[in-house]
Amino acid sequence: MRQKITKSHFAKWALVGAASLALAACSGNADEASSGDGENTIELAEFPDRPYWGDTHLHTDNSVDAFGFGVRLGPEEALKFARGDEVTATTGAQAKLARPLDFLVIADHSDGLGATRRLYDAPRIGVQAMGDETMLRWYDMMHESPEQSQRAIGELIMAAAQGNLPDAMNDPEASAEATKDIWDTHLDTLDRYNEPGVFTAFAGFEYSLMPDGNNLHRVVMFRDGSDRTKQVVPYPGLSTTPEGLWDYMDAYAESTGGKALAIPHNSNLSNGLMFELTKHDGGAMTADYARKRARSEPVVEVTQIKGDSETHPFLSPNDEMAGFGVKGWEIGNLPLSAKTNNAMRAGSYVREALKRGISLEEQLGVNPYQFGMIGSTDSHTSLATADEDNFWGKHTGNEQANKERANMAQNLGTRVGRFGWHYLAGGYAAAWAKGNTRAEIFDAFQRREVYATTGPRMTVRMFGGFDFTEDDWDGDWVRRGYTNGVPMGGQLVDKKQAPTFLISALKDPDGANLDRVQVVKGWVDPFGVVREKVFDVVWSDMEGERALNGNKVPAVGDTVNRAEATYTNTIGAPELRATWTDPDYKWGQKQSFYYVRVLEIPTPRWTLYDAKRFGITLSDAAMANSVAQERAYSSPIWLSPDPEANPKAADTDKE
Amino acid sequence: MSFNSRLRLWLKEPLVHFLIGGLAIYLLFAWRGEPVDPASRSLDVSREDQAQLSLAFEKTMGRAPTDAELDRQVQKFVREEVLYREALRLGLDVNDGVVRRRMAQKMDLIAGAQAETAQPSNQALEEWYDAHPERFADDAKYTFDQIFKTDLAGAKMLVEILKKGSESNDFTALSDPISLPKTVENMSRKEVLDRFGEQMLRNVDKMQPNSAWEGPIQSGFGFHLVRLKKREVSKPAPFDELSDTAKLKLENDWRTSTIADRKKRGYTILREAYEIEIAE
Repeated sequence: MRQKITKSHFAKWALVGAASLALAACSGNADEASSGDGENTIELAEFPDRPYWGDTHLHTDNSVDAFGFGVRLGPEEALKFARGDEVTATTGAQAKLARPLDFLVIADHSDGLGATRRLYDAPRIGVQAMGDETMLRWYDMMHESPEQSQRAIGELIMAAAQGNLPDAMNDPEASAEATKDIWDTHLDTLDRYNEPGVFTAFAGFEYSLMPDGNNLHRVVMFRDGSDRTKQVVPYPGLSTTPEGLWDYMDAYAESTGGKALAIPHNSNLSNGLMFELTKHDGGAMTADYARKRARSEPVVEVTQIKGDSETHPFLSPNDEMAGFGVKGWEIGNLPLSAKTNNAMRAGSYVREALKRGISLEEQLGVNPYQFGMIGSTDSHTSLATADEDNFWGKHTGNEQANKERANMAQNLGTRVGRFGWHYLAGGYAAAWAKGNTRAEIFDAFQRREVYATTGPRMTVRMFGGFDFTEDDWDGDWVRRGYTNGVPMGGQLVDKKQAPTFLISALKDPDGANLDRVQVVKGWVDPFGVVREKVFDVVWSDMEGERALNGNKVPAVGDTVNRAEATYTNTIGAPELRATWTDPDYKWGQKQSFYYVRVLEIPTPRWTLYDAKRFGITLSDAAMANSVAQERAYSSPIWLSPDPEANPKAADTDKE
Repeated sequence: MSFNSRLRLWLKEPLVHFLIGGLAIYLLFAWRGEPVDPASRSLDVSREDQAQLSLAFEKTMGRAPTDAELDRQVQKFVREEVLYREALRLGLDVNDGVVRRRMAQKMDLIAGAQAETAQPSNQALEEWYDAHPERFADDAKYTFDQIFKTDLAGAKMLVEILKKGSESNDFTALSDPISLPKTVENMSRKEVLDRFGEQMLRNVDKMQPNSAWEGPIQSGFGFHLVRLKKREVSKPAPFDELSDTAKLKLENDWRTSTIADRKKRGYTILREAYEIEIAE
C-alpha cells in the first residue's frame, strides 16, 4: 500500500483548527448584560449596603508555574468553584465553597501565558528540535513525576528572577500569537460566567516583574467586557518597568474608553523595593510620578497565602499584635536568592508605605502611596479558598492529598528556609458596592472603599467626619455616615477639630467572635518625623472582666482545643462598635491617616485542622504557630491640612 | 591514547549503545521482520502540504516564508517524518512513558471532541434541563422581620410577651444593637446566607411562613425572634421561556458534562473488553 504524507492528515488538522474557531465563535455570544461592564443592568442600592466578597488573585492552568506545579483545572472550573459549584480538584477530591464568592479575578501570569501547558503538551521531539537543553530538561522533569515537575518550576521561577529564561520562553513576540489565542478564549469564558447581580467575572492578569528575585508583582484588573479587553493582550512583566505597565494601562483607557487598575502584592518579598522613597529607576520621586502611581494603583493586596504585609515587629515595636503571617517570609525575597535585612523592611510593608506616602506628600504635594487594602488568595490550584478549615494549598503539590504538607520544606522546589506551615490559608477582598456588577465592584476598588481580611468574612464599616456622636448608632447610622462624612478610603480636610469615626465590626456569621477593634494612626509630627500609634478602641467585655489594666487591654483568652482543633465562642463579642475621636489630635497636625484593624479571638490555623484530620504530628515550630488571631484591615481615611491654612500645600496642590 | 583505551571510552558512550542497539534491531528485522513495503518508503509532499507548512510559519513569524525558508521547512518536515516512521518501525514507541500517556490523552480527546463542537438538539438540552432543575431555579426569596438578643433567657421572655399580643408598633426598638437588617424583603437565599450565616438560614428553613413571632432561633451572632412572612421557592421557568443567558448557561453545562460523560463511557466500553488481573 502506498503511504503518502496524506492530505487527510492535514485535512484533520485543518478540521481541528476550524472546530476550535467554531467553538470560539459560539462561545463568544454571551448576552449584552454579561459581556459589558454591567452598568444599568441591575437595580442598585442607594448606598453600598453590604460587602461583596471576592478573590482578585487566582491562578489556573494557564499560569506558567501553576501548570508546572501540577494543576489541571482551567479558568472554567475556577469560575464554577468560585460561584459555588462543586468541582473535582486536580488531586481527585471533591471541592466546594460553603459560601460562594461574589466576584473573581483570574490573574494568570502574563509572562509565558499558557507556555508550560504548551511545552508539556508538545511532542518531545518537537522540544528537542528547539535545541534548548534547559527546555528539554524541564520538559522531561514535568513528565517524570509531580515532585520533579515542581522542581522544574522552581528552577523556572529562579531563572525568571535572574533574567535568564530560555529564549523560547522569553520572547514576547514569538509567544504573542499563543497569548492572544488564550487571552481571547479566556475573555469569552469570562463573559459566559459573568452574571450581573449574581456573580462578577473580571478580566485580569498578573504582571510578574521580579528584578533579582525581588517581588514587584501586581495584579491588573479590568472594568470591562471582552468588547474592550480583546483590544489588548496582557502586558509582560519580565524586562519591563512599573512605569511601562502604567503607560500600558493609560493607553488602554485612552484607546478603548475602558478602565484598568493595578494591585501590588507580596511587598513582603520585595526586599524593600515595592514602596521606595525614590522612583523605580532610583531617581528622585517627582509629583508626576507620584500622581501616576497613585492613580494606577489605588489598592494593595496586604495579605495572602505567601504571608501578610501589614507590618513587621521591627517597624512597629510598640504594636503587640504586629507580626501576623511574617514568619518564614521575612527571611528573604521570593525565590530566596537574597536575604532580607532590617534596613529593607520599610519598603516592604504596607503600614510603613502609608507613612512614607504622607511624608512624601508633605514634600511633593502628592501622595504616591494613597491606597486601600484588600486580601486575596494567590492560590495556584484554581480553587479560591481562604478558610482555615478548607485549605487547598498554595499549589497542587500541597493540596490536601499531601498530608504532611504542614511540616514539609516548601520553597518552590529549592526546599530551603521555608516550611509548609508558613503558608497562610489566604485572604479575601471585601468591596462596599451598590450592587454586584463589574462597574460597581471596580469603582469601589478605585475609590478604595474596600477592605482586607485574612479569610473570615467580618463586616467592617468606618466613616470619618467631624460631628459624629454616640447617638448616631440609634438611628440610620449608615446614612449619617455617608451624608455627614466619608467612608473608608476617603479623604478629610482638617477643620481645626479632632476627627471622629463611626466604626463597626460584625463577626463572620459562621466564624469566630471578635476580640477587639483598633485604630492605627500614622502622622507627620511638627519636626517632619513620621510616627505611628495603635489605639485599642473597643473590645469585648470592656466594662467587666477586661476593664483596662493601667493602659493595657487584658488578653481575650484562648478556647482552642489543640488536640481536637476546635474553639468555642464563649469569649469575645459578636459585634463591636465605637464612636471614636482621636485623643492626640492637635490643630496644625500635618498629613495623617487612620485605618481600622479588627482581631478575632484565637482560632485553629489550617495546620491544626490538618493534624486532626490526617492524624499527623506537627513539628514543634509548626505546633507553636498552630493558633492565630485572624484579622481585617480597613482602607485608611486620610486627614490633610487645610490648603487655605497652609500656603505651601496650596501651591503644590495645583496640578 | 591507545586504540583499546579509546574503544573502552567509546563503549561507555550512551550514543554508541544506542547505535549498536539500533543496528542490532535493524538487522533482526531485516532478517526476520516483515518485508518492507516499498510504498511505505515513499514520501510525497504535495502543494497543499507545503501551503500548510507555509501557513504554520506565517502564524509564528507574522509573515510568509521566503522560498529558502519554505525549503528549509519542507526539509525539516521530511526529516522528522522519515525518523518518525523508522522509529515506529523499530518499535521505539513501545514502553515509552511519554508516548503512552500522549496516546491515552488522544483517546480521551477523541472521545470528548465531538461534544466540544456539537450543537445539542433542543431535545437534548431539554432533557438535561429537566434533570438539573436546581441549576436554573432562581434562588428562594425570603421576607421576614427579626429581633436580635444576645442572651437566650431575654429572648425567651420577649417571645412570650410578643405572643401574648402586646405587639409594640416599633419592634425594632426591642432589638439589642447589631448591624443586621431588622426587616428583610425578598432577600435571595444566598444573601441571607452571606449576611446571617448558615446556622440562621438552616433554622429559618425549619419555620413555616406565618405572621406571628417565633423563636428564639440561634445564629452565629446570638438569638433571634423571627416573623417569617414569606418564603418563595421559585420553580425553574418552562424550557421554552428560557432567556438567552439561561440557554447559554444550559448549553455550557450540557457541554461540560457531556464531554466528561463521553470520556468515561468510551473508557468503560474499552475496559470491559479486557480481563485484568492485579497480583496481590
